[in-house]
Amino acid sequence: MTVTAIPTNHQLIEQCRTEPAPLLPLLHAFHERDGHLSEEALREIAGALKIPIAELFGDVTFYHHFAREPQGYGVPRVCTGPVCAHRGGLELLEALRETGARPMPCAGRCDEPVPVLRGGELLVGTAPRSLVTKPSPIPAPNPGGIEECVFAHIREPGRATLQGYRRTGGYEALERVVRSGAPADVLAAIADSKLAGRGGAGFPTGTKWTAVADAPGTPKSIVCNADEGEPGCFKDRALLDHDPHAVIEGMALAAYATGATRGFIYLRYEYPDTFGILAQAIADAEAAALLGDNVLGTDFTFRLYLRRGAGAYICGEEGSLLNSLEGKHPFPRNRPPFPVTHGYENLPTVVNNVETLAAATAIVRRGAEWYRGLGMNGQAGTKVISLSGDIRRPGNYEVPLGLPLETLLHQWAGGPEVGRAIQAVTMAGLSGGFLAGKDLDVTLDEPSIRSKGSFLGAGGIMVFDDRHDMIAVARDAMAFFAHESCGKCFPCRIGTQRITERLAGEAGPTDLSAWIDEVADLGQTMKAMSACGLGLAAPLITESLLKYFPKDVARHVERTGHDARGDR
Amino acid sequence: MIANPTDAKSESLTLDGKEVSFTPGETIYEVATRHRKRIPTLCYDERLEPFGGCRLCAVEVEGSRLPVASCTTKATPGMQIRTSTASVEKHRRTLLEMVASENREIDVDPLRGYASQELSTLLDRYDARTGRFAGAQSGSSRPDDDNPFILRDYDLCISCYRCVRVCAEQEGDHAISVMSRGFHTQITTEFEGLLKHSACTFCGQCVQTCPTGALADRKAMRFAHLSGETKQTRTICPYCGVGCSVDILTKDSTMVGVLPAMDGPANLGALCVKGQFAWDFVQHPDRLATPLVRGADGELQPTDWDTALDRAAEGFRKVVDEHGRHSVYAVASGRAPNEAGYLMQKFVRAGLGTNNVDNCSRA
Ligand SMILES: Cc1cc2nc3c(=O)[nH]c(=O)nc-3n(C[C@H](O)[C@H](O)[C@H](O)COP(=O)(O)O)c2cc1C
Ligand code: SF4
Ligand code: SF4
Ligand code: SF4
Ligand code: FES
Repeated sequence: MTVTAIPTNHQLIEQCRTEPAPLLPLLHAFHERDGHLSEEALREIAGALKIPIAELFGDVTFYHHFAREPQGYGVPRVCTGPVCAHRGGLELLEALRETGARPMPCAGRCDEPVPVLRGGELLVGTAPRSLVTKPSPIPAPNPGGIEECVFAHIREPGRATLQGYRRTGGYEALERVVRSGAPADVLAAIADSKLAGRGGAGFPTGTKWTAVADAPGTPKSIVCNADEGEPGCFKDRALLDHDPHAVIEGMALAAYATGATRGFIYLRYEYPDTFGILAQAIADAEAAALLGDNVLGTDFTFRLYLRRGAGAYICGEEGSLLNSLEGKHPFPRNRPPFPVTHGYENLPTVVNNVETLAAATAIVRRGAEWYRGLGMNGQAGTKVISLSGDIRRPGNYEVPLGLPLETLLHQWAGGPEVGRAIQAVTMAGLSGGFLAGKDLDVTLDEPSIRSKGSFLGAGGIMVFDDRHDMIAVARDAMAFFAHESCGKCFPCRIGTQRITERLAGEAGPTDLSAWIDEVADLGQTMKAMSACGLGLAAPLITESLLKYFPKDVARHVERTGHDARGDR
Repeated sequence: MIANPTDAKSESLTLDGKEVSFTPGETIYEVATRHRKRIPTLCYDERLEPFGGCRLCAVEVEGSRLPVASCTTKATPGMQIRTSTASVEKHRRTLLEMVASENREIDVDPLRGYASQELSTLLDRYDARTGRFAGAQSGSSRPDDDNPFILRDYDLCISCYRCVRVCAEQEGDHAISVMSRGFHTQITTEFEGLLKHSACTFCGQCVQTCPTGALADRKAMRFAHLSGETKQTRTICPYCGVGCSVDILTKDSTMVGVLPAMDGPANLGALCVKGQFAWDFVQHPDRLATPLVRGADGELQPTDWDTALDRAAEGFRKVVDEHGRHSVYAVASGRAPNEAGYLMQKFVRAGLGTNNVDNCSRA
């Protein structure tokens, strides 16, 4: 008979205490063992890590998924994000009510609704009895037959294993670079490729790596931002689930190029399967001397740590992510200084998105010129678009930058259902607001989309056909931003709340011009004065709503006025 | 910390069209304030690390697409800064209207605390239209926390986190923190308990930095109903040798409160629970106002100082005569300053001839 001993507090603490960034793993360990985070557990952890208890208590309440009531860990959380809400998410939540089920924001499975998180499991389905665990979808072959970068090998069988990855040249780039001893060549190749950040902000990756290489102070770090919390984005999930070594190799290349010796993957809580895949991939790479001390027998050392968030969209913002890793309250940091000089533990740090790192691996292997040539219409390279909502073939598509949006929507993804028309699409997940009408003629690249007042960002596009009430769609979008606003800065903390109330008809003027005046003033001040990208971007929702759907807004305000006066 | 503009080499930048010099390390806000620009702030307390939450201090900097928070942004050579363009002034007014909309009330009694008028003063200055942006209110008061010192009226909280930061950065107590997020953030103690069950030392620093009166001085608030002007008198806390500067608040001849003196050389705005809250003795009916001596019946009777001192001297002499000089032991009050402590030991050693002397501060 085997008895699995339940680890003691002391054992849990000793497992984590001496590692870097110990708080999150320690909280997860207690959360999973006890089914919740008890007062006793928090006092133990606070004592062990020397964090003041009031502060730790505040930090824990910041994260959506840490349960403080007994058995809370196992309570199902049902996705009610912008896509799932219209794909049975709300009904499923209702059907699971007696289990105590709670809603959660978009969990990054928009291509296969509805995800349900239950303890350490991610299930998908639309009825309580049909919920199953299954691997996340592999991207379909490129419908345009166009050469890809990060998806080029992702469909090969066994690609997620070390052998599978090595079959087609995996880790050869790292091996060549580490043995050649020329970090500057890597920096030059990345800069030359014109690769820009794929996590949303589009900062030139070569410039970032060079800044870290040049910055004084050690140890330096490479952080892979795998928090993917933007609604309608699920591309990082596909890369990590099906080609994890490409991302790990990218991190090792970044480390070699910048002189970093430690790395962290910060993975969102809602991807438990991905956590297992990554843990295995890291272990295999370590065993093959591709990570750890003396990589491939050289004096290059790179230790990689896997960390999990706990449900907070803002932790994808790099400053907030770094604070979260460090066990601090996850407010964004003031910038400047930037992470390239003051990152993890205030030392030089590269923070890069999953897709950026995977692309970097391909660039080092195949050359900058090759990568640049993958784009269209003068744009360099490719971008993965997560396409979901009212479209016949939702999924991840790697597109050449510069591809017309219409081509993606109609030729690649099959267009809307028969008899339906596309009313609007979102950009950058939700952060870019809506595009509609004539503006759907954009090409998929920043200059084109920015010219319409929106942005491509991380590349999530959700399609809403003509059945939707766009006011309700906008309300839910703003409610998401209000729910995820960290509360650090006034414009966003109050603005997201006030705009949500107005879109929900709960408060605000009942006169149309006064309503527009208030909503526009709130939006303009948020767009100019917010402390981070969340508050800066959120008002694009109402800005684009007013631009494309003024009649809907007028009707909404009129209806609100009637309700307020009680005359229907 | 405000850098001293005279040390290190100075650089220059352009502030509202005028070239001014600054010391590397200074923030835009510090430079601008030195040049008498009135940049509005709500999350700023010069004793604390700049936080960048209220965003009122944002200014325009040439070359930057968006206004930057002047409190957190360091000045750099050649910067061209505009502190009050029509555009930032409009955003400031909107921000103030937003903040006003989340609170139960704006005008609060100044006795609530040192900084309690900051929000209402700014709203007046910007002629902000309160009543705009109606909606839910944020923050929940804690009427259940019945400690005698600190009122936790979070209905008036605007989430500037100055209280949390002063408690951590200045006091090192870490008694309070920020719970939840977004519009639902709430100032809390560990596990939402009472202050007396937390690491709070009741120094009242959170009260004095709160810009809305959400944290208020309960001792002073007892006198809010008294009419008359409040006068401030600078003095030194009588409790211990640190010598913190305080401003005593009075209405007519009634003492109504204590404010820490931000420019007090020994305390720079800090006080402890005694200096901040323990002043009831001043006008307590039990307070001794004349010397007392015991009559033949053993009851205390009021008398004059000469009589009382003679009586004390007589008592000492009698004890020493009967039991020897080592039968006396003296304990100096911790409230006495160094000089008085010195006199005390001198008196005991030279006058009574014993080394039996100590101070109550010895724990
Ligand atoms: C509210 C907010 C959420 C973000 N979430 C993510 C995210 O989930 N993943 C990501 O890679 N970047 C995210 N970012 C962008 C990061 O701050 C950062 O720019 C990025 O990780 C840098 O990597 P890159 O240059 O490779 O894109 C977010 C930014 C903001 C303002
Ligand atoms: S913009 Fe929103 S999310 Fe960003 S710092 Fe401000 S409150 Fe936090
Ligand atoms: S209680 Fe006062 S000082 Fe503390 S956050 Fe609220 S408004 Fe700021
Ligand atoms: S008793 Fe407290 S407030 Fe008074 S002088 Fe001493 S330290 Fe300062
Ligand atoms: S004073 Fe600068 S943001 Fe508040």
